[in-house]
This record gives sequence, structure tokens and C-alpha cells, in this order.
Amino acid sequence: MILAKVAAGVFGTIFLAGAYTFREGVIRVDVDEYKDDGAHVHLWVPAAAVPTAMRFVPDENLREASAHVKEFGPVARALAKELRNYPNTTFVEVEDQNERTHVRVSTDGARIKIDVDDPDENVHVAVPLATLDDVLSQLESRAKGL
Amino acid sequence: MRHSYLPYFRLSVAGAALALALSPVAVLAQSANSASSSPQSGASNSERWLHVRVVSNESKGETVRVNVPLEMAEKVLPAINKDRLHDGKVRIDSRDMEGVDFRTLLDAVRTAKDGEYVTVQGGENDVRVAKQSGYMFVHVTEKGGASKNGKSIEKSKVEVKIPMKVVEALFSAGKDELDIVAALRALSAHGDTELVSVKSDDNIVRVWLDSKNIAD
Repeated sequence: MILAKVAAGVFGTIFLAGAYTFREGVIRVDVDEYKDDGAHVHLWVPAAAVPTAMRFVPDENLREASAHVKEFGPVARALAKELRNYPNTTFVEVEDQNERTHVRVSTDGARIKIDVDDPDENVHVAVPLATLDDVLSQLESRAKGL
Repeated sequence: MRHSYLPYFRLSVAGAALALALSPVAVLAQSANSASSSPQSGASNSERWLHVRVVSNESKGETVRVNVPLEMAEKVLPAINKDRLHDGKVRIDSRDMEGVDFRTLLDAVRTAKDGEYVTVQGGENDVRVAKQSGYMFVHVTEKGGASKNGKSIEKSKVEVKIPMKVVEALFSAGKDELDIVAALRALSAHGDTELVSVKSDDNIVRVWLDSKNIAD
């Protein structure tokens, strides 16, 4: 009986965390460089974890970003807010002469996506817009302390 | 004593039940979001989009397409405060004007009747500035030598067509300022229109306004 309750508690917590992660989305970064010693980075991070993780980053490591946020923060925040009104929209697209898209900046639901498909490298970045807001808020609050 | 941890288990179970109950809502919310995310979803019928298309004639032959909702531009621009751009307005240095009083010039054009104001046919360029049916037209043709039959070859051709209301809104701010946001607002009140067309040996550029959120 006790074991069943423990299991229910563990699975319930996992499920709750899963539901929260699902709601917040995932930050995706894929980088593949097609050259000798080229980098191959594939990163999938629950968006919910980023603002929490940022709290543990020492001030000195965020000093530069916090300094810049005074300048670009209001624009990024306004952009993130407005982009939510345009889900699944392509804002910038670069095609080669064979009509193959190799750069695209778009929204996919509530995420901003940047895709670069190049013969030398592929870069795919997807960030939930809500995470941008959270990260900006953190950087702005850190900037006040600087 | 043996069951002192029971409240925590109950809390966890209650949390799980709550998550289970709420997750379909989250899924449904996301599905609804996806369902409404057809290519035209962000754009209501009244929404205006500014499109820029640049086709390069160089070896790589790249095509760049930029699609910007005017409403978004109106809201984001005031947030940019850098160099000469502040609160959606661009400050103009009087030295940039080279002694030309654009405000007086604009007022003169606004109140004048439709017609051609400037026509220059030179060896290197042809320039035409006109006002017609509420629009201001500026056409510049750059010539690049002569063909065998003596006709001049067009090196590049620039055609600009701006609604007068937009030009007025642009100059509606204080002295030495251009109100970009007011111009965008005035532009959004206009129907589908081609604003800029540039044809040269290197590139073909087109800037136009319509209610679609995708370029041609």
C-alpha cells in the first residue's frame, strides 16, 4: 500500500513536471558544421528550466548581457509580444536560384525559429517567445543591480 | 507516526490529478493554436503587410523576401531608441537637408494641382517627379551608354509611388523630424499598392503593400 502511494507520488510529480515542461515548450539548438573538426551541437532544453537556471549564474557572467539589455531589451520585449499575434508566419526568407530555402526566420506557434541550411553548415534554433520574456526580465533585474 | 508522510503523498497524488485534469486543456489550447495557425492566421482581413523582395541577378541568384505586418512595425518601432531613431521618429540633421526646406516644399506640393513638377532628361539620368490622384511619383532612370541604333540603354530604373497622406504623416512631427510611425499608420489605411520598384543589372527590388502575410 505504502509502495503504491510512493509510486503515485513519484509518477504524479514526474507527470506534473512533464505537463509544466510541455506547456512551457522546449528550446532547440542544432548546429552542424560540415568541415574537418566542425562542431555538431544538438541541444534540447526545457524552456521552463532556463529562467530557473539563470538565477544560479553569477552576476559577472551576465554582466555584458545585462549591460546590453538596457539597449535591446525594450525592442526584444515588444517584438516577442507582437510575434505572438503572428503564429506560423515567415518573416524573412532567402532562397537560392533553385528555389531552395536556405535562411528562414519564422514563427511556429508560440516559438520563434531561425533556420539556416547551407552547404557548409546547418543551424536550427527554436525558442519559445515566453522564454524570451522570462530571460529579458531576469537580465533587466540583474542590470538594475549593476 | 508511521503515516506522517501521508499528507505529502496525498499532495503529490492531488497534484498529479490536477496535472492530468489540466493537460488536455493545455493540449487543446496548443491544438487550437495550431489549428488557427494557417498561413493567413495572423492576418485578419484588415491587416496590412509590407513586403520587400530582392532578386539578385548575380551568380548565386538569391532571392530575399521580407514580410512585415504594419501593425507590428508600428508597435515595435517606438521601442527602438538608438542614434537618430527615437519614439518612432527619425531626427534629421539640418546639414543633411543641404539647405532645402522640405516642409515648405511638401506644403507647396500638397496644395498644388496634379501634374508633373520636375522633368529632367539628362545624359546620365532621366528624373520625373509628379503628383497624381493623391500619389507622389518619383521616377529615376540611370542611363548606361547608347545602343547601336543610338537609343540610350537603361542601366537602372527606380520607380517610387507614395500616397500623399503618407508623405504628410512623415513630415507631421516637429521640425527636423520624420515621423515613421505616423507614416506607417497612414500607409496601413491604403489599399494594395506597389511602393518601390528598382530594376538594375545587379538586382530587382520590389516593395509593396497588401493584406497577405506571404510574398508572391
